[in-house]
Amino acid sequence: MSTPNFVGLRAVILHRADEGIERLARQLRRLGLDVDRRWAPLGPQEQCDIVLVDADQGWGGLLPWAGADAPVPVVALLGSEAPGRIAWAIEQGAGSIIAKPIAQASVYPALVLALHVFEERRATRDQIAGMSARLRLRGIVHQAVEAIARAHEVGEDAAFRRLRETAMQRRMTLEQVAADLLARRKDAG
Amino acid sequence: MDAPLRIGILYSTTGAYGAFGRESRDGAELAAEELRREGVPVELAIADPEGEAGRYVSLARELLRDKGCRHIVGTALSATRKDVAPLIEKHDGLLWYICPYEGFEANENIIYTGPCPNQHLIPLFDHLLPLYGKRAFLLGANYVWGWEMNRLARDLLLEAGGSVVGERFLPIEETEIGRLVAEIRAQRPSFILNNLIGPSSYAFLAAMSALAAEDPAFRPEVCPVVSCDLTECELGEIAPGAAVGQLSAASYFDSLDTPENRAFRALAAARFGADRRFSTFFSGAYTAVRLCAEAIVAAGTDEPAEVRRAVTGKVHQTVQGPMRIDPRTHHAALPFHLGRINAEGGFDVIVSRPPIAADPYLLGARGAAAHLRVVS
Repeated sequence: MSTPNFVGLRAVILHRADEGIERLARQLRRLGLDVDRRWAPLGPQEQCDIVLVDADQGWGGLLPWAGADAPVPVVALLGSEAPGRIAWAIEQGAGSIIAKPIAQASVYPALVLALHVFEERRATRDQIAGMSARLRLRGIVHQAVEAIARAHEVGEDAAFRRLRETAMQRRMTLEQVAADLLARRKDAG
Repeated sequence: MDAPLRIGILYSTTGAYGAFGRESRDGAELAAEELRREGVPVELAIADPEGEAGRYVSLARELLRDKGCRHIVGTALSATRKDVAPLIEKHDGLLWYICPYEGFEANENIIYTGPCPNQHLIPLFDHLLPLYGKRAFLLGANYVWGWEMNRLARDLLLEAGGSVVGERFLPIEETEIGRLVAEIRAQRPSFILNNLIGPSSYAFLAAMSALAAEDPAFRPEVCPVVSCDLTECELGEIAPGAAVGQLSAASYFDSLDTPENRAFRALAAARFGADRRFSTFFSGAYTAVRLCAEAIVAAGTDEPAEVRRAVTGKVHQTVQGPMRIDPRTHHAALPFHLGRINAEGGFDVIVSRPPIAADPYLLGARGAAAHLRVVS
């Protein structure tokens, strides 16, 4: 792991102003972030790179997203042990927690962890989306193999090899080539 | 201000790292005596954990809560600083930390007057790599100092197109180093970064000296052992002559030939004898006690926020030369010196750079890749 660096990122703290939160803001600035603090909902179009939110007082609608869809890393600021509050933090997509009262040494690790969790979730989501798409297109691949087998009077194995070679030559996925082929046959037929 | 200024001194003067603590305490006492002569009523409250890591927290609590000290000069190892930091924060005290450390910390309740990596490791590598080569063997004590210093060293080497030919961690106070030396001999690195501490470090340096006697490829002028925390106060613990020619980085050496240091040495020698060599722990604790007392006087209170305001943002004349403490990071700008151990038990200063502002989180020190770089 290379050394995490947060220089130039924009952090939004959603929390009422108090001494501890001022100290948090100073610590974030020391880490090179631009910091904006307020106690009002975050707009859906607002640009920011990381959100630190009061999980003790936060309400639904404070953040314009639900858990898994959080478009940026989220850190929960939490003093309570109440399960409902922890659940709320999870629902907002929190990847890490900074316990209140805030110890200065807890800020940097929480940022690193929240960013890591965020990246990991994004990678998993992308991977699942890719796999789901391929799963959906398996029918098309099968139809294309059958069509090739009929047209060239070869077995299914040979037809599949032919399809795969075409995909490799054109640097496309098997599913894309299959969809192309079926579309052209339909046009021609 | 008539009430005495109470400053806690928290060092172990016995145990494996007692040398650091004795130097630091002596430096602190010299400063207090001098301040009293100048009419500043400083009282030191001495606490000595005697080398037991677990006693730092209870003694720090005693200083803060029962002894009326809002300021503590102390802790040598990063592990103990990290242990006491939450307590200092909770009691809103101020810890004055004088030792070299591994960075990645900027606590508002700590003033850091020892160097962090952009003030020791980075300028050290700037100097070493072109001269000796980029194949390094990394050695570390098995705790946060060794781990983090070696991690950064690896990053720096890879960025420079170099390599790590071996990396080993030894338990604190381990002195069985035979296997390690055999491995170094087999790997033939360009240099060895030594982040061992105390007895492990002394045993290692002695073993490297024996190796160099057998194999000239390991003489210090060919393959140096380089440390960031080996000082004058420890040279006496190493077998006589064994470490001669090896290198160490520091922000202060006894042998610095500057007007400030000549005056300081005269003062220290009058109190502790002309034969003694004073390390960065001695000068560092002296400086910290002076800065702390002067800031309390300037602020008119020992309230930490006021003292912090008084000590940061301006230039202080110190033994290390002009010193500015950054109001944002609470770290001192410090000069970089590279010393070569000589046969007289001191260091010849062979490279010096003017004060470098501390960058504890390495925000700007390493390249322009100043965007998100997390976990691959």
